[in-house]
Parts: sequence; structure tokens; C-alpha cells
Amino acid sequence: MANDAMGNQSNMSGQYLTFDLAGEMYGVEILKVQEIRGWEKVRNIPNAPDYIKGALNLRGEVVPIIDLRVRFAMENREFTPVTVVIILCVESEQGTNVIGVVADAVSDVLDIKLADIKEKPNLGSKIDTRFMRGIYVYKHNMIMLLNVDKLLNPDEFEGLPSLL
Amino acid sequence: MKVNMPVTENEVMMKDGTILVTRTNLKGVITYANDAFVEISGFSYDELIGKNHNMVRHPDMPAVAFQDLWESVKALRPWSQLVKNRTKSGDYYWVEAHVTPVYKQGVPVEYLSVRYAPSRAQVNEADTFYRELNGRRATTIRPVGLAKVIKAIKEISINKKAGMIAGAFLLPNIFLMKQFYDAQQLLPLAIVALLSTLACILGYRLVRDVTGSLGKATNMCYQMTDNNFRNKTDIDRNDLIGDFNRALYGMQVKLNADMAYMKQTGSESLRIKQALDNVSSCVMVANTNLEIIYMNDTVKSMFKNAEKDIQQQLPNFDADKLLGANIDQFHKNPAHQRGMVPNLQGTLTSELVIGSRHMNFVANPVLDESGSRIGTVVEWLDRTHEVKIEKEIENLVEGVKTGNLSARIEMADKDGFFEKLSQGINELTDGIEGVFSDINNTMHSMATGDLSNKITNEYEGVYDDCKGSINATIDKLADTVGQIRESADFINNSSQEIASGNNNLSERVEAQAASLEETASSMEELTSTVKNNADNAQQANQVASSARELAEKGGTVVISAVNAMAEINESSNKIAEIIGVIDEIAFQTNLLALNASVEAARAGEQGRGFSVVATEVRNLAQRSAAAARESKELIQTSIQRVRTGTEFVNETGVSLNEIVGGVKKVGDIISEIAAASIEQSQGIEQVNQAVSEMDEITQQNAALAEEASAASVSMSDQSTNMINLLQFFSFNGAPSPVNRAVDQQAPPPVSPKPTLHRMNKSQAKDMVGKSFVETSEDDEWDEF
Repeated sequence: MANDAMGNQSNMSGQYLTFDLAGEMYGVEILKVQEIRGWEKVRNIPNAPDYIKGALNLRGEVVPIIDLRVRFAMENREFTPVTVVIILCVESEQGTNVIGVVADAVSDVLDIKLADIKEKPNLGSKIDTRFMRGIYVYKHNMIMLLNVDKLLNPDEFEGLPSLL
Repeated sequence: MKVNMPVTENEVMMKDGTILVTRTNLKGVITYANDAFVEISGFSYDELIGKNHNMVRHPDMPAVAFQDLWESVKALRPWSQLVKNRTKSGDYYWVEAHVTPVYKQGVPVEYLSVRYAPSRAQVNEADTFYRELNGRRATTIRPVGLAKVIKAIKEISINKKAGMIAGAFLLPNIFLMKQFYDAQQLLPLAIVALLSTLACILGYRLVRDVTGSLGKATNMCYQMTDNNFRNKTDIDRNDLIGDFNRALYGMQVKLNADMAYMKQTGSESLRIKQALDNVSSCVMVANTNLEIIYMNDTVKSMFKNAEKDIQQQLPNFDADKLLGANIDQFHKNPAHQRGMVPNLQGTLTSELVIGSRHMNFVANPVLDESGSRIGTVVEWLDRTHEVKIEKEIENLVEGVKTGNLSARIEMADKDGFFEKLSQGINELTDGIEGVFSDINNTMHSMATGDLSNKITNEYEGVYDDCKGSINATIDKLADTVGQIRESADFINNSSQEIASGNNNLSERVEAQAASLEETASSMEELTSTVKNNADNAQQANQVASSARELAEKGGTVVISAVNAMAEINESSNKIAEIIGVIDEIAFQTNLLALNASVEAARAGEQGRGFSVVATEVRNLAQRSAAAARESKELIQTSIQRVRTGTEFVNETGVSLNEIVGGVKKVGDIISEIAAASIEQSQGIEQVNQAVSEMDEITQQNAALAEEASAASVSMSDQSTNMINLLQFFSFNGAPSPVNRAVDQQAPPPVSPKPTLHRMNKSQAKDMVGKSFVETSEDDEWDEF
């Protein structure tokens, strides 16, 4: 009943690209996605934070590649043939930045109604949860929907701007 | 003229070196002939003596030859010619005859004929000459006609010849002197006259000297023929006549010495003849014609005594007419003696029985200095009485030899040596008879088993020894018989025990034979079993071989399987690769579809359819990926399984190889088993053969044991017999163990020994558990 009510409340839906990272499902707004690419070797960027794998020449545009595992302080892992790079368009105050993230695998494109998106858990003020948009339960799996802009705000990057 | 017939063509050859000598009186009657002449003439001495010499004349001799002989000797001249003489049997012989008158006191008293052996040349010449004389009937053998004149001239006396030489010498000198006288050349005349006178004187002296010397020499020779050897002659002259005188003198001395030697020899012969005449042995001498030429007095009286006995067998025997007679008359078969006696080389001893007389004669040959035979000397011994006594003694001795001791020699007609001998022999016979009678008595007692009768008479010497020996024999025999009795008793017992033991042995050997037969049949079965084994082993070997072949084939199959697996693996890998590619494509497609979705989303409402397509594509891609993943998993599983299968197959291959090796070993072992079985089979056959032989031997043993058993039984019987026989003897006071033995004739316990045997065996077994200190019992056991 509640779902129906919420659906009615906000009937608009958005498409989300879900991907796998360390066995957990994550999702990003598909409109933030510029391109999905298979993993390829990247140019190493010296003196960059360890979660920045390097830079990729994407049709003349240098795109920094961020390893989300490292970013999320997860166990590091070798790249597999299904490892993909998701090129995202990040909007910040400085404008739009194109940034690639490394995911274990892409899963699906889901149409998710906004109403179906659960609120992110409240973990107090000390823990940063800004990069989370919400959680969507899909077939008993909880898909963490990420706020790309927050997550990949270049200001948040240490050393990155100097590189750029 | 006397013609002696008949004649033969046989010539008797005179032996070289012999001389035939005869003497005749002035009428030609033979008064002496030497042995050589007697022998060659073939007549006996008696036949020759007193007969005219012309009895040996041969008819081939011409009468004129003997006429010439008589003319010569009557003119007191020696005569020498070859003469052919005839023997008594008609044979002839040639001699070189020399006839000369013999003088006594200067008067011829007889003629001496000496004959030598002529050479064959002389004989041939004379034979031809006499044939010629007989052919022309010549009246003389002397030369006639011119030959006679020449001979007469040759024989003119020396004085006449000297006168003629002087006349022939003086006539020319006288003629020369007359010439000188006429010419009044007085000096040459005187020289010639002087020389002529000198020559005449010298010639006269020479002739006188020669004739005087010859006359003396002639006289001296005649003196020597008359046995006067003491003639003087001039031996000091240094000329030829002196040499002649010395030679003549030397001859006279030599002849005188020879004469002395002859006289001595003659007197020696006479002495021996005298001695022989007077010896007591009977001696008789015969010449080479076996005519008796000498008999001594003893032989004469002996033959006179025996005359009557001898005449019984030889009626013509006359003891007074023996001298000159042939000794053939003593023999019934004279030819035998003729052959034997003349060839006698050594002593011939013989016995003659003439009439009732027993004569011994010993003949020895008489030889001259050159070793040729000149006669035989015979000694006679009349042994008639001796022979009679010998016969008597011989009869007695023969009787004693053949056991007849009752006869004795008659003593009445014995004397001297024979009396003593006969008495001795009689006493000897008495002694022997006594001894033998005693011995016989005792021996007879022994023969009847009585050993108590000994010789009690006293004897001496060998008889005493004999008595002692016989008595000792009886004692010893009694002793021995006693011991034999004991031994026989013992043997009897033992033999019965042996018999029972042999029976046991025989049974055991038979049992052994039966066991051996069973063994032999078992061995035969064993043989067939082993042969089967060998055959089975052979078959097993073949099976193992085929198994090995199959295993080898399995090995190759395994290898093929491994290869096939590898190929499958390879294909699977390729499939996996392909699936990978598909998966990649699916992934890329998915990415493309996602990108398409992204683009569609951006497109907004216009992109809605495209989004649907992209979603469909993405679904397809995802299905492809899922399918690819499943295929990959399947292929992975397949590859895994193929790998496992390969490992299994490899293990199978190794196992199969091991199986091949194992089967090979099995085959080898089976072959060895087969060979061993064959050897075993042969071995068993040999064992079988050995067992057969053992069987045979055991059966022979059984037969032998049976024989031994039978023999021991008969031995037992024999020993019983022996005991019975020994009962025959009896002797003084000896206990008779025989009776005891005979009483025990019931057979003794049959097998005490085997009982003892078993007992000892059990004892020995007991002792095994204890100790072997007392080995003596073991030894005892071993002896059983």
C-alpha cells in the first residue's frame, strides 16, 4: 500500500547502470555515464593517490581512472577480462569532469522508480555518506546507488588538480 | 801160380802213417804179421801164420813181378815195387812194398816185408804199368834191349870205370910222349910223363879211397842189420867221405839207442804180461778182429771150471781152444758184439748169463800211442754163487717190503760175509716184525675206538720214538676227542640257534622284498605323476606365452588410447579457446549494449525503442556469456576427466608392461619346472631301476637266507650226527660229555637271541633319555 502511494507520489523513474564490486552491487545514474569500456592499461600518474590508477587517453581527452576498491578501502584485486572502466561525467563547481572508475564487472541497466530508492542509513555525522544516493533492493540484493558528483568531486582528490 | 778168387772192385784204403809188416821164412811162409796187416788183410792172425805169403796175392798182379821179387831176394837184394793185394773178402788194396833179406851172422835167415801207403799218382802209374805187362805177357819187369844195355853200362863198377878213364887219359899222353921222344924234345916229354904219372897215382888213390870207404860202410850196414851196433869208422876225416862216415855213425848210434829202447819196452811188456798171468782177476785180451790173443791163468781155470755149465748153452765151447779163437763164440748174437766192441770208446760193463753161470765182464779199449784202436782187454767175474745169495736176500727184502715178515734166510749154506749179512737180515726182520705186531695191535684197538690200549714193550732208537709218538698220538687223540665232544656239543646248540636265527632273517628278508615291491610300484606311479606334471608345466608354459602376447597387445592398445586421449585433450583445449572467444564476444557485446543503453538513456524519449533493443541485445549477450561459461565449465570438466583417463591409461600401460614381465617370468619358471620335472622323471626312473635292482638283490638275499637257513638246519643235523659218531670213542676214565649232549637232543629254545636283541634295543632306547656313559652296553648291542 505504501509502495503504491509512494509510486503515485513520484511516478518518475531513472535508469541506473549497476556494476559489481567485491561481490556487492552498486549503481550509478545512467545519464552520468559517458561510456563503458573494457579494462586497458593506463598511463601511470606519479605522485597521485593510490586509488588513482592513472590516466587514459580517451579520444584526445585525458581521463583519470580511479580504482573504487582502493577508494572504498576494499581488498585489492587483480584485473580480470570482465574488469571494466566506466567513464563518468562528474559535475562540480569547476564544471564537468570526465573521470573513469574501475569496476569488477558491469551488471545491468535498471529502471528504478525514485520511490523505490531507500534512504541511505544514518551513520552519524562523522562518517561521510555523501557519496551514497540511496539503496535499491533488487531481487533481494541491495544495490548501493552512488552519487557520482559527490563521490568523484575533484576537490576531494588529493593531488589530482596539480596533475590536471 | 796161385790165383785167389773171387775179387771185387772195392778198394780198401791204407791209412796214412800205418806200416804193414810181415816176416816170412826163406820159403815164403808167413811167420809174423803185425796188427795193421792182419786188420787190412781181413784174415785172422791164425789164418795168416804158417801160410804162404801168396795167399794175399791179387790176380791182377803179373806173375813176372813176383818172379822178379824172388830173383832179387834170392840174389840177396832188397826189392821195392807197388803191389796190389787182395783181402779175404776179395777187396783190393795198394801198397808200396819193400822186401829185404834179414841176416844172422852174415847169413840170410828170413825176409822182411814192409809196406807203406802209396800216393794216388804212384798207384795210377803202377796200375797202367801192370795192365801193360799183362797185355803183352812180358817175361820180366826189368828193362830189356837197349835199355838193358844202357843200364848195364850205367852199372859198370867204379874200378872198371876208373881203369877206362885212366886208359882214355893215358893213351893220348903216351902218344904225345912218343911224339916228343921221336922229336927228341926231352924236356916236354919229361913234364908230360911226370904229370901223367902224378895223375895216375892221384886217380888210383881217389878210387881206392872211395871204394874202400864204401866197402867199410857196406860192411858196417850189414853189421847193423845183424844187430851189431859197435862198428868203428873214421869220423875225423874232413872231406865228403868224412861227412858220409859221420852220418852213418850217427845213424848207428841212433839205431842202437832205439834198439835199447825197444828192448826196454819189450821187457816192460813182458813184465806186465807176467804180472797179468799171475793176477787173480780173469783177464783176456782180444785184437781188433776180436780174436783172443791173451788169457791169463785165472781166466783159463775159471773157464775150465765153468766149461760144463757153458756147454749147456754153447755146445761148441772148449776151454782149451780159447786162445786165438774169436770171442763171438761167447755170444748168441755175435753181430751185436761185432757192432759194439770195436767201436768201444770207454769202459763197457755187462752181464752175461751162460748156461747157469752168471758172468760179469768189463771191456776196455786198448789204444796205441797215436790213439788208434789196437785191441780190447776184457775182465771176467764169475758171480754165480753170489747171484744165488743175492736172489735169496732180494726175495726176503721184497717180502719185507710187501709186508711178509715171516720168511727167513736159510743159514746152512752161508759162510763169511754172506753168513753175517744173512744173520743180520734175519735179526732185522725179527725186530721189525715185533714192532709192527705191537703197532698193529694198538692201531687195531684205536680202529675199534678203544683209546686205552697203548704200546708197553720196551724199544730203542727210532722204534722207541715211534712207540712214544703212537702213545702220544693216542693220548692226544683222546684229549682231542674229548675237546671235540665238548665243541660238538656247543656247535650243536649254536647251530640250532643259528638255524632259528636264519629262519627269522629269511622271513625278514622276504618282508623286505615285499616292501620293496610296493616301493617299486609306488615309484612307478610317482613316475607317471611326474610325467603328467611335466606335460602340465609344458601346457602352462604355452598358456603363459599366449598371455604374454595378449598383454603385449594390451600395451599397444593402451598406447593408442593414450594418444587418442591426448588428441581429445587437445580438441577440448581448442573448444575451450573457442568458448573463450565466444565469451569475449559476449562480453564485448554486453559492453556495446550497455553503451547503447547509455546512449539511449541520454537520448531520452527518442531513445526508448533503442533502449529496448539494447536491453534485448544485452540479454542475448548475457545469455551468450552464460552459455559460454557453462560450455567452458563443461569443457574444463571434460579436460580434467580426459587427463585423469590418460593417467589411468598410462598406469594401465605400466601395469601391462609389468604383467608382460611377470608373465615372462612365469613362463620361464614354468619352463624350469617342466625341465625339472623331466629331470625328476629321469631321476625317478633311475630310482625306480635302483629299487628294482634292490628288489632283485633282496630276493636273492631272501633265497640266500633260505639257503642259509636250510644249511644251518643241515649243519645242526650234522652236528648231532657228529656227536653220535664221537660216542664211538672210549678212553680211560674220561667223563663222557657226549651222553650229556645226546640227552639234550631236544631242540633248544628257538629264539633266545632275538629276545635278548629286543631287550637290548629297548635298553638302548632307554639309555637315549639318560646318558651314554656306559658305552659297553651299546657295543654289545651293536654286535647283534
